[in-house]
Amino acid sequence: MTHPTAASSHVPGVGHVVPIRTLLGVLATLLVLTIATVAITLFDLGSFNIVLALTIAFVKGALVLLYFMHLRWDRPFHAIVIVSAVLFVTLFIGVALLDTLQYHPDVIPGYAPALKR
Amino acid sequence: MSSSKTTVGAEQRAAPQADARDDYLRHSRGILSWIFTLDHKRIGVLYLVSILSAFFLGGTFAVLLRTELIGPGKTIVDPDTYNQFFTLHGAVMIFLFIIPGIPAALGNFTLPLMLGAKDVAFPRLNLLSWWLWITGALLSVASILIGAIDTGWTFYTPYSTTTAQKGVLPIVIGVFILGFSSIFTGLNFIVTVHKLRPKGMTWFRMPLFLWAIYSTAVIQVLATPVLGITVALLAAERLMGIGIFDAGLGGDPVLFQHFFWFYSHPAVYIMILPAMGVISEVIAVFSRKHIFGYRFIAMSSVAIAILSFLVWGHHMFTSMSPLANTLFSALTFSVSIPSAIKVFNWLATMYKGTIQLRTPMLYALAFIFLFTIGGLTGLFLGMLAVDVHLHDTYFVVAHFHYVMFGGTVMAFLAGLHYWWPKMTGKMYSELAGRWGFWLVFVGFQVTFFIQFIMGSRGMPRRYYDYLPEFQIYHQISSIGSYLTAVGFFVVAGCLARSLVRGVPAPANPWGANSLEWWTPSPPPHDNFAETPEADDPYDFSKWTLDPGTGGYVRS
Amino acid sequence: MIVPVATVWLPQRGSTFAQDVDFSWDLVFWTSAFFFALITFLLLWFVLRYRERPGYVAGSATDHHTGLEIFWSVVPTLIVVGLFWSGYRTYLDMATPPAGAYEVQVTGQKWNWLFSYPNGYVDGQLHVPEDTPVRLVMTSQDVIHAFFVPAFRIKRDVIPGRYSQVWFEAIDPGTYDVFCAEYCGTSHSAMLTKVVVHERADFDRWLAEASDFLSRMPPAEAGALLYAQRGCKQCHSVDGASGIGPTFRGIYGHDQRLASGASARVDENYIRESILAPQAKVALGYEPVMPAYQGRLRDEEIGAIVEYIKTLEGTP
Repeated sequence: MTHPTAASSHVPGVGHVVPIRTLLGVLATLLVLTIATVAITLFDLGSFNIVLALTIAFVKGALVLLYFMHLRWDRPFHAIVIVSAVLFVTLFIGVALLDTLQYHPDVIPGYAPALKR
Repeated sequence: MSSSKTTVGAEQRAAPQADARDDYLRHSRGILSWIFTLDHKRIGVLYLVSILSAFFLGGTFAVLLRTELIGPGKTIVDPDTYNQFFTLHGAVMIFLFIIPGIPAALGNFTLPLMLGAKDVAFPRLNLLSWWLWITGALLSVASILIGAIDTGWTFYTPYSTTTAQKGVLPIVIGVFILGFSSIFTGLNFIVTVHKLRPKGMTWFRMPLFLWAIYSTAVIQVLATPVLGITVALLAAERLMGIGIFDAGLGGDPVLFQHFFWFYSHPAVYIMILPAMGVISEVIAVFSRKHIFGYRFIAMSSVAIAILSFLVWGHHMFTSMSPLANTLFSALTFSVSIPSAIKVFNWLATMYKGTIQLRTPMLYALAFIFLFTIGGLTGLFLGMLAVDVHLHDTYFVVAHFHYVMFGGTVMAFLAGLHYWWPKMTGKMYSELAGRWGFWLVFVGFQVTFFIQFIMGSRGMPRRYYDYLPEFQIYHQISSIGSYLTAVGFFVVAGCLARSLVRGVPAPANPWGANSLEWWTPSPPPHDNFAETPEADDPYDFSKWTLDPGTGGYVRS
Repeated sequence: MIVPVATVWLPQRGSTFAQDVDFSWDLVFWTSAFFFALITFLLLWFVLRYRERPGYVAGSATDHHTGLEIFWSVVPTLIVVGLFWSGYRTYLDMATPPAGAYEVQVTGQKWNWLFSYPNGYVDGQLHVPEDTPVRLVMTSQDVIHAFFVPAFRIKRDVIPGRYSQVWFEAIDPGTYDVFCAEYCGTSHSAMLTKVVVHERADFDRWLAEASDFLSRMPPAEAGALLYAQRGCKQCHSVDGASGIGPTFRGIYGHDQRLASGASARVDENYIRESILAPQAKVALGYEPVMPAYQGRLRDEEIGAIVEYIKTLEGTP
């Protein structure tokens, strides 16, 4: 059986096989990003912390989808399915948050017991 | 699986004969051959028996609660027991009967046959779906025995997170498991429709029932996980007090409603889309006329599936902020348009047709009549100012019974009577079928129409007791429920009797042209000797009635 | 236009916007009636005209017609846009209380309603003057309830942990039913009360008289009422059970040990001080969390509470 080379990753009878170098490279990137996520929590950047954390999470998720889940070389239809699922989650959380934010002024302050620190 | 490129031979097309030893019912014997079957037809029958049992249980709760309501104050039970009755009626009917409903009991049987295939894409997953249904059903029934629940099928927090009733946890675990049954069925159907269509059956040459089942499957896969998470969070709140829905712990009770309805609104389209698919088949066949507006009906199924995800807030108009209310009211009206398109297309199909008033057609005509009422009353509820008055009254109860019962159940009965000869190899008595139909139809109307008036006059729902001015409405409704129950016994008797005394069914008693009618009744274990070639499923000109067998044969 | 009695479908109109809501109702009702009649007629006519019978031969008809499809897609779309707009316009009015409305605080709890008037009086029924905008600021003590007055066409959920509001202007003196419209447990269907609409002059007289319940009942009984309605009950039991605050049973005349180490006799002055300035003497073993009632209870009310506590005999 021929091994996939960087130039041609197609193995007859099996289909496209991701080269080991690519997989290892993605893994290394993910580990670095994970360390970055934890490192950022050590700095207080206010609300920018969560923006940064979500951005890193988004990049990591995209890498997993594209390389580990083979989406980069699959039929475009599969990408449509994934993206639409993400859109639906965004729709759900977005609209629920919209409602919650609008009635936020009506919440009774101090109703809940204070969290113990 | 390789698909044969030869067409079915002329002799086989003329009058397919059932091989008495190889039809799927007699293919193997013993209870284990059923419980461990991989045959989609047997799984369909297992589901049929299961969901009809659930329907009977849910119906019993309905008759009990209507009996309590026949007079104000206590009639037969105390308030807590009544509250448990309406909760269990809802939970059993929704999770155990109507959501699996047509896809599981009729779709499982019919889908591969309509595709000329031997089975669904994942037969073992199909069996697992049924086992999961059984597990979820047992847990739900156990919850009745462990401690019962009285939260309503909607489990609103903080009532559901703080009530002392012990049945909440088992039933939400049951619901979680039933969710997976639904997801796996949806997954199976999506792949089957994508991958197992025969040569020549492009998307726009599929029977419309398959478009309906496919759209339903997409909703099942996309929405049900949200239900799973919702009940998981509910359980976590009850067990560990994580503080997501409990205001006393810093949580938000209305957030639960967003979570719950994000699934449960698409869920109602899981209930109605397959029903509409059945109606498309039955109306065309019994008008002996090509379905009108095929593409529009097909696309409207997909449109409903997508739009159904955008409207969940209309269940929450009295607890949401004005901005969210406005958004959801506007979006809600959008989902009414594809349904209207279907109704007009069905009527246009009947125009200049040759209408045969057999039992399946009676149910289909009743569907159009009752679903129209149900759908139009949905418009009342979509209008903000009007919904404020009608929310949580009997008007809502009447609306959803008109669409779920007058709609889905009628279509389910239409499909059951339509495919019964194919599934069982027996014809039922037309006379008994008609009696059953009229009793159910009239009983349903007496039970539920009056509830519209009761609701708009201010009678709230989920009420054990009521003001004397509402008594007459409740009495009429309760009497209707008894009539409906009698009707169902007649329907059951008619079908049961056919199993023992029914005339053997021809392969194609109704002269339909979709592929399931090209194989004997009941079908052999392998469905088809060779994969048939796809044809226009609504071209009935190829079949003529053979007075000898009482069925249609190839002309 | 005042509709004093219910029609077939709707209750009497008791508020200014009932008329607008009913107009929206009429709009959707007659639109629906038209389409229902049309569809039913076509259904029955087609069945009759095209049914299979000896000698009947069906004519030919096409199986698609794009123009027709567009027609019966666009026309319903325009109709529902109109319906949405009607419901939205009226709703916007209903969601926007006018400035200066008479405000009543509403508390929903399993299974009764409490209404707190601006002067501090608390009652189990909602009394309002006619032709006056009234704003209800509502919250729940436990689970979600909903405040529903069919005659006014108003309904709003009452939620723990936050305030929700609804407003109305009553147009006709009379008594109107109030229902709880969100399932809340065993006695959900018994969580009823009334809105009593007074003529303008009569309302002020009612409020003054009702608030003056002290002159209508014996002090101890009035004290029991205040104990239940003004928040004492939440922390202090009357049966000896321990709570956030000391039980009231048997404390009158008893020597109370204080956190400061001293001791004080529980008499009229002690109770009065504890209500008005609770941090002055804190009972031993309890947290200093009691809110001060300075300005929230009148002298006579405190006197009534004292009389009530005197009746609670037993071991403290």
